[in-house]
Amino acid sequence: MLEQERVLAVSPLAHAAGVQVGMRRGGVLMLMPEARLVERDLAKEAEALHAVAMALLQYTPLLAQAEESTLLLDIGASLRLFGGIGRLCRQVRANLRTLGFSGALSCAPTARGAWMLARRNAGRAVKMASLVRRLDRLPGTLAPPARPFATWFEGIGCFNLGDMRRLPRPGLQRRCGRPLLDMLDAAYGMTPELFEWIAAPTTFHAKLELFDRVEQADALLHAAQRLLLQLTGWLCAHQLAVARITFYLEHERGKVARAPTLVDIALAEATWRDEHLVRLLKERLAKLELDAPVIGLALEALQVEPMAPPSESLFPEPGGSEEDRVRMFELLVARLGPENVLQAAPHADYRPELANAWVPVQQSIRESWRNAQLPGDLHSFPRPAWLLAKPIALLMRNHRPFYGSPLKMTSTPERIEAGWWNQIQTRDYFIAEGQDHALYWVYRERITGAHADLEPRWFLHGLFA
Amino acid sequence: MISPQQHLAPERLHPSLWRASQLAHSSARCVDTGYPTLSSQLPGGGWPTGTLVDLLLQQAGIGELRLLRPALAAAASRRIVLLQPPHAPQALALAALGLPPSQLVWIRSTRSADTLWAAEQVLRSGSCGALLLWQNHARSESLRRLHLAAQSGETLFFMMRPLSSAQDASPSPLRLSLRPAAGGLDIGFVKRRGPQRDAPLFLPLDRPLTPSVLQQHHASLDRPLSVPLATRGVLPELVQ
Repeated sequence: MLEQERVLAVSPLAHAAGVQVGMRRGGVLMLMPEARLVERDLAKEAEALHAVAMALLQYTPLLAQAEESTLLLDIGASLRLFGGIGRLCRQVRANLRTLGFSGALSCAPTARGAWMLARRNAGRAVKMASLVRRLDRLPGTLAPPARPFATWFEGIGCFNLGDMRRLPRPGLQRRCGRPLLDMLDAAYGMTPELFEWIAAPTTFHAKLELFDRVEQADALLHAAQRLLLQLTGWLCAHQLAVARITFYLEHERGKVARAPTLVDIALAEATWRDEHLVRLLKERLAKLELDAPVIGLALEALQVEPMAPPSESLFPEPGGSEEDRVRMFELLVARLGPENVLQAAPHADYRPELANAWVPVQQSIRESWRNAQLPGDLHSFPRPAWLLAKPIALLMRNHRPFYGSPLKMTSTPERIEAGWWNQIQTRDYFIAEGQDHALYWVYRERITGAHADLEPRWFLHGLFA
Repeated sequence: MISPQQHLAPERLHPSLWRASQLAHSSARCVDTGYPTLSSQLPGGGWPTGTLVDLLLQQAGIGELRLLRPALAAAASRRIVLLQPPHAPQALALAALGLPPSQLVWIRSTRSADTLWAAEQVLRSGSCGALLLWQNHARSESLRRLHLAAQSGETLFFMMRPLSSAQDASPSPLRLSLRPAAGGLDIGFVKRRGPQRDAPLFLPLDRPLTPSVLQQHHASLDRPLSVPLATRGVLPELVQ
């Protein structure tokens, strides 16, 4: 990466080839002709830092941006919730990896101290005494106000912060100005620190440019995860839960401009954790077929509601809670489609095909309505558990219907004659028994009118399971 | 004082040991089958929960749901999932069996991989009372996977397969074959943790309905009369 024609950062591969920080463009190209030189883009850097800040808002609302691409988090109040410093650091590190960035992470009792440790990647200090020990060993030029005076400090043999602290304060202030003393005091916890905390925007909209043209929908999952992570942070900062999100998959602009593909995810129950969203998205992307390569990805939270913290019961219910079930059905619907995950919605109709209606499981049906549709005495209607999608016409042998073996009627008929308003059915239903003792639900079509003298036709319509 | 006979009882050494002549003690919670003759033949005295139970059917619609009716009705406080049944389930009939329509979920899928995935999701979530899965061909590794998934919860899990799969190996500890018989079912014990039983167990099942009930609720059917009615007083011309 270059800034003003000087190398600012190098990849490990380039470092191995001998490229070093501070080289000129020509020098780099001589050492490594295939090197990819990228101009530093401050706007993009700020965007990336903002994305990280959004994602980290889930750990604490007290998050401030400091000099030199650093974020300061006040985690004093979050330690218990996230299970201690070690675990919190691991989570933050994992989030950074998911977002596709690398970073140095440090903890200290003072924010400026943590900043200094992080700039040198010098680990964690939990107690004030150990922080002082570690800070004393850090180079003095770490503090930005001391950098213009680096040669002077070197000249008087003052190499690290410990040496700098031992210098007389009035003299140091006269030569280097007030900011250096303020910074040292803040780092060593001698003066209180004030920050401008980052406030999350009121609406959420995040965008991401992909490094490459993506042609497979499921390859987008990793990029989408980054956006979801930012969404999580934003939701936590606002104490909100999301009920509907939309992904915009932006296509490459070829000869014709193409509208972005939308992936809309609606949840039955609002959530503020990303695991469930990632699982749903995975199933949706696996089904999606892209008609053009994707170059960008944007996420918008369309519908949010106040976060409802989970109510823990004293004795947890065996076998999962109501939310678990709702989530499971959402996941099934995401992969199989809403028309394949069904719940019963019986209709009060005499015709068996119409009475046996099933609707998508996420449609809400009032219990009273469903009960009103059921007949009062269920046992007065002999119905088979399996209903054939289409009745099978039965062969006739010796004036008896035949299905594998001759069928013997074992019940009196039930006459169903309804539907003159759309599909008329005039049938006499019987329970028949085959020679293998399986029970079948068969009917004889009643033919009225001109063809009344025809042979009766028999159909198989159900199986008693 | 423990007699030497008792001392050597294998279940005293380890709870999962049993003699070949006796039924095993089931470590899983069991749901009563509702049929005492069947319960006495099963280890643990009922259908085990959190286990793959293999039911091998001669064909669909021979009374398999009537066999499971008491157990499913007991599990109906939570959802009952019918995964890839052979035909459309009829809510009215299941309601008559004691399964309220609000608790029924019917899942269809076109691919076998999706079916197995859905079964695994249902079992792992553990929030459903029972899962009934119909599958014609299942490879042994997918059976093993489903059995493992079943063990993570307390869902009643029945897998319905054709009778021809009885020859294939299965990780399921309980495999029963079901054949229709006059007035009930013949249950063969293909595999159980207990003594081998070759003779099938005949289990009488309720018939769907007795005809007498029908006659009370429905008008009688008009049938062609065998004796022609004598015309009394009215002229035949007027009748036409």
